[in-house]
Amino acid sequence: MTTPAEMTDQQADSAGARNLRRRRLRIVVRHAILVAWALVILFPIFWMIATSFKESGEWVAWPPHWIPQQPTFKNYSQIFTFDTMQKGVAREATEQPFNVWGPLGDSLLICTVSALIALLLGTFLAYSISRFNVGGKHFRHAILMIRMVPPIVIAIPLLMYYAIMIPLAAETVLGTRIVLFDTRVGVSAIYIATTLPFVIWMMLTFIEEVPYTLEHAARMMGAGRLYTLRRVVLPLVGSGMVVTFLFVFILNWAEFLLALTLTHPDVVTLPVLLNKFQSASEGRLFGPQAAIGTIITIPVVVLGMLIQKHLIRGFSFGTIRK
Amino acid sequence: MAQIVLKDVVKKFGAHVAVKGVNLQVRDSEFLIMVGPSGCGKTTTLNMISGLERPTSGEIAIGGRVVNDLEPGERGLGMVFQDLALFPHLTVYENIAFGLRVKKVAEREVDSRVRAAAEAMHISPLLAKRPAQCSGGESQRVALARTIVTNPAVFLMDEPLSSLDAKLRVDMRTELKRLHARLKATFVYVTHDQAEAMTMADRIVVMSGGVVEQVGEPLEIYRKPASQFVAGFFGTPTMNFLSGKIESANGGLVFQASNLRQRLAASLPSGLAGRNVVLGVRSEHVTVGANGGTPGKVQLIEPLGAESLVFFEFGGATPLVAKIDPERSLDTGDNLTFDFDPAGCHLFDADTGARLN
Repeated sequence: MTTPAEMTDQQADSAGARNLRRRRLRIVVRHAILVAWALVILFPIFWMIATSFKESGEWVAWPPHWIPQQPTFKNYSQIFTFDTMQKGVAREATEQPFNVWGPLGDSLLICTVSALIALLLGTFLAYSISRFNVGGKHFRHAILMIRMVPPIVIAIPLLMYYAIMIPLAAETVLGTRIVLFDTRVGVSAIYIATTLPFVIWMMLTFIEEVPYTLEHAARMMGAGRLYTLRRVVLPLVGSGMVVTFLFVFILNWAEFLLALTLTHPDVVTLPVLLNKFQSASEGRLFGPQAAIGTIITIPVVVLGMLIQKHLIRGFSFGTIRK
Repeated sequence: MAQIVLKDVVKKFGAHVAVKGVNLQVRDSEFLIMVGPSGCGKTTTLNMISGLERPTSGEIAIGGRVVNDLEPGERGLGMVFQDLALFPHLTVYENIAFGLRVKKVAEREVDSRVRAAAEAMHISPLLAKRPAQCSGGESQRVALARTIVTNPAVFLMDEPLSSLDAKLRVDMRTELKRLHARLKATFVYVTHDQAEAMTMADRIVVMSGGVVEQVGEPLEIYRKPASQFVAGFFGTPTMNFLSGKIESANGGLVFQASNLRQRLAASLPSGLAGRNVVLGVRSEHVTVGANGGTPGKVQLIEPLGAESLVFFEFGGATPLVAKIDPERSLDTGDNLTFDFDPAGCHLFDADTGARLN
């Protein structure tokens, strides 16, 4: 016979067990959804990496070869070759020899230099906006409007300026040609302009976490503005600057539309190169294209993982404070 | 010489007037404490002395030199901030050395002066640590060491003890007073804590609403507050205030409020008769158990150890508080009679709050 006390204990037990079951079920469902979504997201990346190790016959084989049946490094050796004329990209059938070195150099140079310059300008701008209210109360929001313009809207007008109006104007006024179209300077300049809002917003969040009193203390001890910036403010936002640099670097690294519009044929960035793997006889050269895609993705993934936590903060445009 | 003179100093932030014409003379080697509630303009006044804020009008002179247009670093001051403002990315040593390095002092001298300052503040073992690794009291000493290392003639302190726990705060008060005695520099110290002001200051400046209410030595301010505001700000528990009227009776003056009739000191000018006033009396000047006193009823007893506080009501608008011997057997609900010591009665104008006696 059970006493009333025991009965309530049992009831409590079964209620607890029900709760536990429900919680477990919720976890299982949640994970199932997340895993399914991850598969959807990751499948193209898997396919790209698999294709980069496939022989040309397997690229479009049907039924598809999920895993390369004769794994090969040929695609990689082709894009990384120094001997462009002979081995070229797509063996005997290719009329266009491609290799990755030129575009890789262009991409690295343009992305690094423009990210560095944007970082430098943006940090000082963010500092003056934060400390001196430069541009007034709404300036920081006005800056964001640059990012609200879709690149396609400015691409063609920019092309007109780059290719025709600036060279013409320079020639008329200065007597010398200023060439921005299809130059590294031209691409870098537009990258600096388009990423500056990001730099300003990210650096604003970091700089505004530096208490004013630290600067006041330095000032009381006789330190000038630049000394204080160099010895107090910049060291404190140093890690933020690294994160911002990497973030902007990734943005530039993956930029396609503006680079495509404003260059040809001398300057080629990696995303633009991706688009060029077309041969008359073989159609798309999926293998080398996938190899380059893989190469482009690696730094993005590595850098992204490094700054994961800060990326979220960067995307939230500084609305989250401690 | 580090005398500080403020002449008609005004500070406006947009339409808001934070400091409304302050005149003040800080004597050389004095420990002056500015005290007042939040937003009374004391920190703004300190910041104008430091140079971190520029006065809207008026003149500030340090050591006989007008400093209105001088950068903070050129005024020969040292400042300790409320949040201490230690540089988190630098070690304690580098924090203390910062001011000397700005002034491009030779590295060997930097080293000896930093070590001497650390020695003086008993923080030598901390030199290699970061501020985050120091306790509250240690950080406090680091901030002081960083300030004394440049030998300023004037120390400005903006509520430097507010981040410490109660016990440490009391210890640091003693330490600061000792430091002042040793350095013989001018200290200007801002706090909202009246106890801090009473215990450390040579002179106290009481501010309220952007104006100076009273300047004086601690006991003078306690015994002879210039206004009802000052009277209420200093002392624990807060002074008892009663609104009423002065009447003349038997050739002297009495204070009349509801059922309370209080004889006043004979020295008062008879011209006060008929005025509406606020009478202030501290708890230690309320005598409980007086013969022929006003009756009241005990609401609450707070034993403090050496004495007890008894809160009682007597039919007036607010209850009164008196300090009594803790051995007295009084209990909540007991009846008592009370009286005020006429010498301990302060009279304030009912409208302006200005002192009348």
